[in-house]
Amino acid sequence: MIYSDIALDAVLIAVLLDLFLLRSQMVTRGLFWLSYGLILPFQLLTNWWLTSKLIVMYTPASIIGRRLAGAPIEDLLFGFSMILLTLSLWDFFSQRALSKID
Amino acid sequence: MGEDKRVSHLHYIGVLLFIGGCGVGVNRFFKTGFTPRWRIFLLTDLLILILYTTWDSWAIYKRNWYFDPHQILGLHVLFSIPIEEILFFIVVPFTTIATFLALKKLTGWESDRK
Repeated sequence: MIYSDIALDAVLIAVLLDLFLLRSQMVTRGLFWLSYGLILPFQLLTNWWLTSKLIVMYTPASIIGRRLAGAPIEDLLFGFSMILLTLSLWDFFSQRALSKID
Repeated sequence: MGEDKRVSHLHYIGVLLFIGGCGVGVNRFFKTGFTPRWRIFLLTDLLILILYTTWDSWAIYKRNWYFDPHQILGLHVLFSIPIEEILFFIVVPFTTIATFLALKKLTGWESDRK
């Protein structure tokens, strides 16, 4: 279940970076959760496409085995971590660029 | 299934075109102001690429996941990662940011924040 472990770590790291290093506080912002809520169905749709057509396959030993929309449940954690980290970094660099102009 | 093999090789890249197309459409339609900030995107995505291709290459090496060779283009870049995977880590962050900026504009939330 190595994918499970890394996916959990990825979420933890993304949240810690968001809150304490980049200080973008995304997880406390309604706009973030609204964005995530809109992106999630599209993730499930593309996950379903990629897994039901067997474009991407998973070694059973690397996952828990529970699936959602065809993909390992771990994919939710992977997706969440990447969306959070992307928006967190984007916000961090945007704020920095702006404060330089001021 | 009798599908043309040349078409089947586009199964993964097609998904990326769909996701990227959504991002381009959202940016254009809602005039999100993404384009002038392309440098910020470059910086953001560079870090995402480093982190997630590292994870991906390791997972592919350990065979946590693998790909149907008939449904990808067959172009592999560093550490035997299919080119689609690299593009995924560019296209998905792009569309994620487009969505975020469009919703910011639509809702008027955080209008005091850049």
